[in-house]
Amino acid sequence: MAPPEVHHLFHHPIADHSFSADRQTLAVARENVVDVFRRAGAKYTLQDELTGHDKTVTGVDIAPNSGKIVTCSQDRNAYVWEPTPEGWKPTLVLLRINRAATCVRWAPSETKFAVGSGARLIPVCYFEEEDNWWVSKHIKKPIRSTITAVAWHPNSVLLAAGSTDGHARVLSAFIKGVDARPEPSAWGERLPFNTVCGEFLNNTAGWIHSVAFSPSGNALAFAAHDSTLTVVYPSAPEEPPRAVLSISTQVLPFMSLVWSTESEIIAAGYNCEAYRLQGDENGWQLAGSLESKGPKGVQDSREESALNMFRQMDLKGNTKDDTKLNTVHQNTINTIRSFEEEGGHVTKISSSGVDGRVVVWTL
Amino acid sequence: MATLNWRTINIDALDPESPANFDLSTLTPAVTPLSTADVQSLAGQIRQLLRGGDSQGALQGALENPPYGADEKGKEVHLATIIEILQSIRQADMSPILSQIYSAPGGTEALDVLMKYIYKGMAQTSGASTSRNITPQATGFSQIHARGGGEGGGQAMSVLLSWHEKLVEIAGPGCIVRVMTDRRTV
Repeated sequence: MAPPEVHHLFHHPIADHSFSADRQTLAVARENVVDVFRRAGAKYTLQDELTGHDKTVTGVDIAPNSGKIVTCSQDRNAYVWEPTPEGWKPTLVLLRINRAATCVRWAPSETKFAVGSGARLIPVCYFEEEDNWWVSKHIKKPIRSTITAVAWHPNSVLLAAGSTDGHARVLSAFIKGVDARPEPSAWGERLPFNTVCGEFLNNTAGWIHSVAFSPSGNALAFAAHDSTLTVVYPSAPEEPPRAVLSISTQVLPFMSLVWSTESEIIAAGYNCEAYRLQGDENGWQLAGSLESKGPKGVQDSREESALNMFRQMDLKGNTKDDTKLNTVHQNTINTIRSFEEEGGHVTKISSSGVDGRVVVWTL
Repeated sequence: MATLNWRTINIDALDPESPANFDLSTLTPAVTPLSTADVQSLAGQIRQLLRGGDSQGALQGALENPPYGADEKGKEVHLATIIEILQSIRQADMSPILSQIYSAPGGTEALDVLMKYIYKGMAQTSGASTSRNITPQATGFSQIHARGGGEGGGQAMSVLLSWHEKLVEIAGPGCIVRVMTDRRTV
């Protein structure tokens, strides 16, 4: 397994990151701005800074085909940035929310995107040709608290949302004139806007950090603050799901998750490292960490020469430097995303965290 | 109208969209109400197991039926039962018993419940001993005296602390996070 590719960009927390489809451009949310990095050799160098938000940027997403960047912030605004020869051109989106925006994701069709917010609603935004701006339609019911995560179904109509009221929901974000009528699936047949296709609560009602549909869209996974990961397999519209599998883990809660195949999920969070979970409808389990700690430990011990030991004792009064975690990320991982896919399988993922690092992992 | 103070109007009550206007209990997991008498009869059965020397069975039985739906009194009764079981188990037996419960079906759930009771027990012993031992002084600061009285609570605490240590070894920090997150309290 190839070693992870670590990019230590700066000493600020990264709220969200996104790579372009060709993986040459990297957009990173740093405080009030979005930094756009360009790949140069093995490194990413700062190319542009998207300024416009007055408060912390909470979400950034690059559309894979059009290359447009959408950002959202605690200042209750979202911008769509279009690449032009003169640089990035922002367009304000009319979100009409009275609380912070928390997360944003493009639909796979790239004609619309969803924004999570603290105003207990989800603006689903689409482009209005006539007026030449982005407008939004609100999903309101039955959300009772802040939306912390949104994720799209591959059909670009169904939207999964995780909330601090402990519920993960599957909702319809069908917009007339923008979307084609979707194929009926296990989640629902007729899907007018704001149809609730599923509402799931885990045992402890801990708040949800992350949601994701499986690659086929026929299963939903969500991670909550009670250190559990729950996978839901729906049976048919309006019927209880076929299976709801909840795995209580021994580690700290997961902040983000991504499906690599139909039977594998990669999740990472407060433990500062990514974990592999494997299973199917009959049961899921934690298969282990993505990092192999064995060889790293050997390397560390080799570096401890006698000279180094006495120097440490002299400088710090101890022989071991224990200020470093033995994981690649040195703080909570906020976001993990698919980096490279091959034949419907994710082969590489990228992670970013509070330590200002973006790391690319080979699965 | 002139006497109406605008600033004291509860505007949340007038806004149908306000979070104050919906029932928060619908957001929490459903718990079935339980009477104190039921908790007491369960406690009786568990004590019987304990007297028979089956402390693991007693612990398992107590952890599988946490009285989430009981009132304060019922919850106190169950806490007393669990503390009694915990104190009756020797230190050397803790880890084997915990790993056996963990590997049984529904084991993580049972250990989460145990963690809840350990924390509740800690809260109670410290609360009881502070109210008994701390007397506010005229000088303005509190002074703890009667150290001997504190030892009783201290001993219960040391039992709970060693259980806590052994439990985290097996169930990990995830167990602590679950207890903090869980809306079903014991």
